[in-house]
Amino acid sequence: MSLLHLSDLSVLRLTCPVVDRVSFDVSEGELIGLIGPNGAGKTTLLRAVLGLLPFKGHASTAALSVSQRARHVAWMPQAREIAWPVTVDTLVMLGRVPHLAGGAKPSEADRRAVADAISDMGLAGFEQRKATELSGGEQARALIARVLAQDTPLILADEPTAGLDPGHQITTMEVFARATQSGKSVLVSMHDLGLAARYCTRLILLHQGGVVADGLPDTVLTAQNLAKVFGITAHVERTAQGLIFQPLSVLS
Amino acid sequence: MRVFVILSALVVILFGASLLIGPAGFGPAESLRALLGEQGDAVTLVMREIRLPRAILGVMVGISLGLSGAALQGYLRNPLAEPGLIGVSGSAALGAVIALQTGVAASFALALPLAALTGALIAVFLILALAGPRGGSLTLILAGIAISALAGALTSLALNLSPNPFAVSEIIFWMMGSLADRSFTHVWLALPFMAVGWVLLARLGRGLDALTLGEDAAEALGIRLDRLRLMLVLGVAASVGAATAVAGAIGFVGLVVPHMLRPFVGARPGALLWASALGGAAMVLAADIAVRLVLPDRDLQLGVLMAIVGAPLFLHLIYKTRRQL
Repeated sequence: MSLLHLSDLSVLRLTCPVVDRVSFDVSEGELIGLIGPNGAGKTTLLRAVLGLLPFKGHASTAALSVSQRARHVAWMPQAREIAWPVTVDTLVMLGRVPHLAGGAKPSEADRRAVADAISDMGLAGFEQRKATELSGGEQARALIARVLAQDTPLILADEPTAGLDPGHQITTMEVFARATQSGKSVLVSMHDLGLAARYCTRLILLHQGGVVADGLPDTVLTAQNLAKVFGITAHVERTAQGLIFQPLSVLS
Repeated sequence: MRVFVILSALVVILFGASLLIGPAGFGPAESLRALLGEQGDAVTLVMREIRLPRAILGVMVGISLGLSGAALQGYLRNPLAEPGLIGVSGSAALGAVIALQTGVAASFALALPLAALTGALIAVFLILALAGPRGGSLTLILAGIAISALAGALTSLALNLSPNPFAVSEIIFWMMGSLADRSFTHVWLALPFMAVGWVLLARLGRGLDALTLGEDAAEALGIRLDRLRLMLVLGVAASVGAATAVAGAIGFVGLVVPHMLRPFVGARPGALLWASALGGAAMVLAADIAVRLVLPDRDLQLGVLMAIVGAPLFLHLIYKTRRQL
């Protein structure tokens, strides 16, 4: 079943297309890395899919009502905002907002979803700590836990691994990979191509608002694409541990 | 839950104290008998026509200011937001000042509060027109600052052009804010507006909780930010506009109360709404009792006392917060 269908989606800033006729489908169980240089339109594309920006073309999520959409797709913005010194528990419980009727108390199922998300992100024991007093990386994990607690078929995350230590970068990607085993799909924008190459089942390469390549990591991370889009050379090797990607030099 | 009980008890106690304390100096038993009894003597008159409406207005004004302050802080995700921020209280004060300056206020009993409500209403239309259709918070702050500045300038103009010094002193006294000499007419005038405002603001809890994660994340959690902001502006305008209309400009309640109570409700903006409503009521009642006790014969104004107590309290809170950072 398709979780997301985009056809000819464009976002214009005045008359300049920031996202230019993007079409793709997301089916169940995919971990998709959305890659591209700064300003390629990754965040804009994700925000348009969520209905946070006006766009032209078709997005299946746009047909859903606001509350249906909140139960279908979860969103982790790049700006990691935690405005008030709430506990980690309270913060992660915000992911249950779309599932709670106005003013309803969280049910046993809600509490379990929150507890699972907290332990998935390695935050067990942090439940009663104030989220604003955690380190940057711990806050990022708490916010990822909030997204997991929302328990939606589709997760969109904007650079969720930025600022995490190597161990937690890997944990985060593994948590996403585990989520895809139950049929969920995750669409993450990221700059760490090595991490993307190892964990994503599919990469979508954006350049100047358009899709340049879409497919398995080794078919997307070709020397030609890397030169054209990022202006770099890289060492790419298929090993027993999976695809290894290491950027080498900037092309002049 | 314990916070709720404590705050409610505090409001009830202060409400009782407000009924029992006053320049007429009746004993508590006598006062209560007069309030509940049937005899139509002077004590009954004082209790029912002076102290009861004054205490009720104290509660109403306190709820309005506390609730609005908490809602605005939650929406703007800024502990420095206060009900005056969106320009409604400034505009309501301007309406009242114009009524006082032109002498319309003397023509009939409700002329002044009605003029103030009109001022608040105009401010709401201006804010909504200026802030635009999307639910952003920055445009709301900017529109509010612009309207506050304009209302302040026009208030100064009204004072500047005032025909006689008595009008000026009357205006200045009114602007200090007070609950003295109010009647049930004021209660009945303000109550419908405030009640509408309270209902609108009390329903924002879920949205404000979600806004802890920022505007984008809240919207993706199914919160309609445009609708939330509309309800917020209308709710603050109705309750604070009505409060300013009957009691003048009373500052600091909407700023300090949410700030003080935030740690007791786990910093959740939704839970802070009702806590601040109760806390605001308690604070206004306490201040209104204090003005009667501190300088009973000098007509100390409520707004003045509130600022004198509120500012150092706020400094203390800033000092404490600074150490945590």
